[in-house]
Amino acid sequence: MSVDFLHPGEGAAIDTDVPALELRGIGKRFPGVVALDNVDFTLEPGKIHALMGENGAGKSTLIKIMAGVYGKDAGTIRMRGREVDIKSPRDSLKEGIKVVFQEIALISEFTVAENIFLEGYPTGKAGSIDWKKIRADSAALFNRIGFDVDPAARTGSLPVSQQQMVEIARALAHEARVVVMDEPTSSLTPNEVSLLFTVIRRVAALGIAVVYVSHKLDEVFEIADTVTVLRDGRHISTRPIGEHTNDTLIQDMIGRRIDNLFPRKRGAPGSKVALSVENLSTAKKLDEVSFEARAGEVLGFFGLMGAGRTELAKAIVGYDPITAGTITVDGQRLAPHDTRTGVKLGIGLLTEDRKSEGLMGELPVYQNASLASLGAFARLGFVDKAKENRAVQDYVDRFRIKTPSLFQQVKNLSGGNQQKVLISRWLMRGLKVIVVDEPTRGIDVGAKSEIFALIDRLAGEGLAVVMMTSEMPELLGLSDRIAVMCEGRLTAIMSREEATQEKILNAAIG
Amino acid sequence: MALPTSREGPTGQMLSAAKTPAPAHGPERREWTEMSELTHAPAQRRSIGGQLLGGSQLVLGAILAVLCIAISIAAPQFYSEPNIIAILRQCALVLIVASGMTMLIITAEVDLSVGASLAFVGCIGMAVLNSTHSLTLGMLAALAFAGGVGLFNGLVVTRLRVNSLIATIGTMMMLQGGVYLFTREAVQNHNRLAIFTDLGAGYVGAVPVPVILAALIFAVAYVTLRFTTLGRYLYAVGANEKAVRLSGLRSERLKLFGFVVTGLCVGVAGMILSSLMNAGQPTAGRGFELTVIAAVILGGTSLLGGRGSLFGTLLGVLVLKVIDNGIIILSWNQDLQMVVPGIVIILATYLDIIRNKANVR
Repeated sequence: MSVDFLHPGEGAAIDTDVPALELRGIGKRFPGVVALDNVDFTLEPGKIHALMGENGAGKSTLIKIMAGVYGKDAGTIRMRGREVDIKSPRDSLKEGIKVVFQEIALISEFTVAENIFLEGYPTGKAGSIDWKKIRADSAALFNRIGFDVDPAARTGSLPVSQQQMVEIARALAHEARVVVMDEPTSSLTPNEVSLLFTVIRRVAALGIAVVYVSHKLDEVFEIADTVTVLRDGRHISTRPIGEHTNDTLIQDMIGRRIDNLFPRKRGAPGSKVALSVENLSTAKKLDEVSFEARAGEVLGFFGLMGAGRTELAKAIVGYDPITAGTITVDGQRLAPHDTRTGVKLGIGLLTEDRKSEGLMGELPVYQNASLASLGAFARLGFVDKAKENRAVQDYVDRFRIKTPSLFQQVKNLSGGNQQKVLISRWLMRGLKVIVVDEPTRGIDVGAKSEIFALIDRLAGEGLAVVMMTSEMPELLGLSDRIAVMCEGRLTAIMSREEATQEKILNAAIG
Repeated sequence: MALPTSREGPTGQMLSAAKTPAPAHGPERREWTEMSELTHAPAQRRSIGGQLLGGSQLVLGAILAVLCIAISIAAPQFYSEPNIIAILRQCALVLIVASGMTMLIITAEVDLSVGASLAFVGCIGMAVLNSTHSLTLGMLAALAFAGGVGLFNGLVVTRLRVNSLIATIGTMMMLQGGVYLFTREAVQNHNRLAIFTDLGAGYVGAVPVPVILAALIFAVAYVTLRFTTLGRYLYAVGANEKAVRLSGLRSERLKLFGFVVTGLCVGVAGMILSSLMNAGQPTAGRGFELTVIAAVILGGTSLLGGRGSLFGTLLGVLVLKVIDNGIIILSWNQDLQMVVPGIVIILATYLDIIRNKANVR
């Protein structure tokens, strides 16, 4: 069993003139929809090529064709100039195309080294697995990409960021010519991201073509050599990153310009205190957090991963138990750990984890929207469905929620539209305080500006908006005041005017 | 409008804002649409092929039709009135409990103790009936006991957070053993109450009493699931319990409700069964829970919760009982009564998977 990665010179010589992988005129249809239409995509060895586009643009279909998960309907695929026929993931792996998907696909009970050689274990005499070689090769591999982990560690015991590194290492363990990374930073902290980037650069330096799929602009500007943008299944542009600016890239992705990502239409916040939190502590994280949020204000909470923003969000709406402190909504004390009185008093959470805490994926749009306010559409316990549907339709129209009908299962909507459905759920109920946790996570650039505008409107209508975010532009663009957390404590509260990135980051480090 | 679970509506028919008359709202509301000019969402990707088939009920309805036609060709007496009445009577007991079970499974829980509870309930109901000579008291005792079992299951699951599969297996074992502590042998009917005999064997017109009771319970459950807030919350808690809790609803109580209702249904069924057997049998109801759950799942209700319908359950019960009946009137080996439904369950679930695959791109 050869491990080309360890001896790159001995494998087939890497010719930098011939593209590592060349896709020409790729077409793919699914029943009722054209997912890819005549798409070209060329990868140079040793280069990092970003693949961008909104959800539904065709990025994942293209990757899956490269990985052999889907067959193509039209077009040709060439590896180093030679036409190849990729019919299954096996064919793709054999050609040296390695895809690191978003979800970790390691066996958590196995050691790191065992996972890395899962594709084929080196065997010794009599066909027994050569464990020594596995460990030694793994260690050499890690050394090469600058990745510090014990090959004998049980994979499940590692943090997610390291598991991701193991995934990348596994992609490289057997002859790799193309490595595809699908949104690899979605669950990483800034430090881990920079470590990942170092690894990616080293991989590219070995002459491997890297595909970096992301919709985070700043990352792409930092890491990519070339950018290809897809939109609605079509190839829009391929350009060196140097020719792009933020604006041109967004324009390519969404097909129009966004003049102002953070339009502010609301007036100054009022003086009425809508939410008052005093000395709030929880068993695991929060330590004596106190703050007030006023009606008509967006109070942004910033913090690094693990600072306790989500914990705070869940505690103040009554979802999680607290060990000490008081929460007062509109002058009335909230019974802790009781969402029922919370919602009655008018405080609700727009969760960061839409799928597992917000959406009822199998259920239709209208039922998702009306969940918190169903009582208002009922008489003697019977739902007046016509009245309910009219009310939901009203929100669908006003927020332009793109859905074929009110009866569409909500899981089939795009992230931005799902978020709008969940915001509708709270607006239909009528709140005084809304806590929004990472409101644009997993949402396209185009839809983001809409969510920002919505948050602006919420505050404009007199709600107190408590926004938890890890995105600096979002924080600075939307907040009236900025609170910073570090390890469960509130380390600073400042007005938007006095806030600078530096001040915020200093407070976030503690 | 169909049930919440069914995939409906022609695809690609976008509801445009212009088509819908603007709802009456203040001017400040209208401004909301301004920013919507920025709206951009990827086109909906839904297959057309998948839409041609309705719900999983369609598959099941087809299976039922094929079965009925095939059996009646082989044995014309299948369509005789006495045989149809017999099938319906067979269905009644299962349908009563399956109505409650459908609600429970929709909330993503399950109760495996219904068979054991059915036997115990019959014994207790009969014993109370014997000593009080009052059907009302006997019935109340049965309902109280069975409802209590449901409440116990529900509390163990929602308060102690024991997985319902495990919790109710525990209850099942407790009840199977417990009934022998209560009585070593069948509790014979000593009361000679005609009204009690009618509960299982009586008729109103041409329709057996158990069928009427089953129809009533089915109708109440159907209306609850389809038209009430309670029904909607049951689906919601099964689809996403956390979302329900974040919306200010008490998810535990909804699940508890499912358990208690299932228990009460067992109470009714247990009394009918003891009337039919003219005794409380500690050995009755073995495997009954599997028949009930099989019917519910066959009807397209998802064990994962949030998805399912009572109409499907009705079809599921009918399919299982028509198979039973067919095997008897065709004079096949009776042991096939277990084998054939097993095959049908796997087959129907597989067909449903195929149908779902056609739905997803």
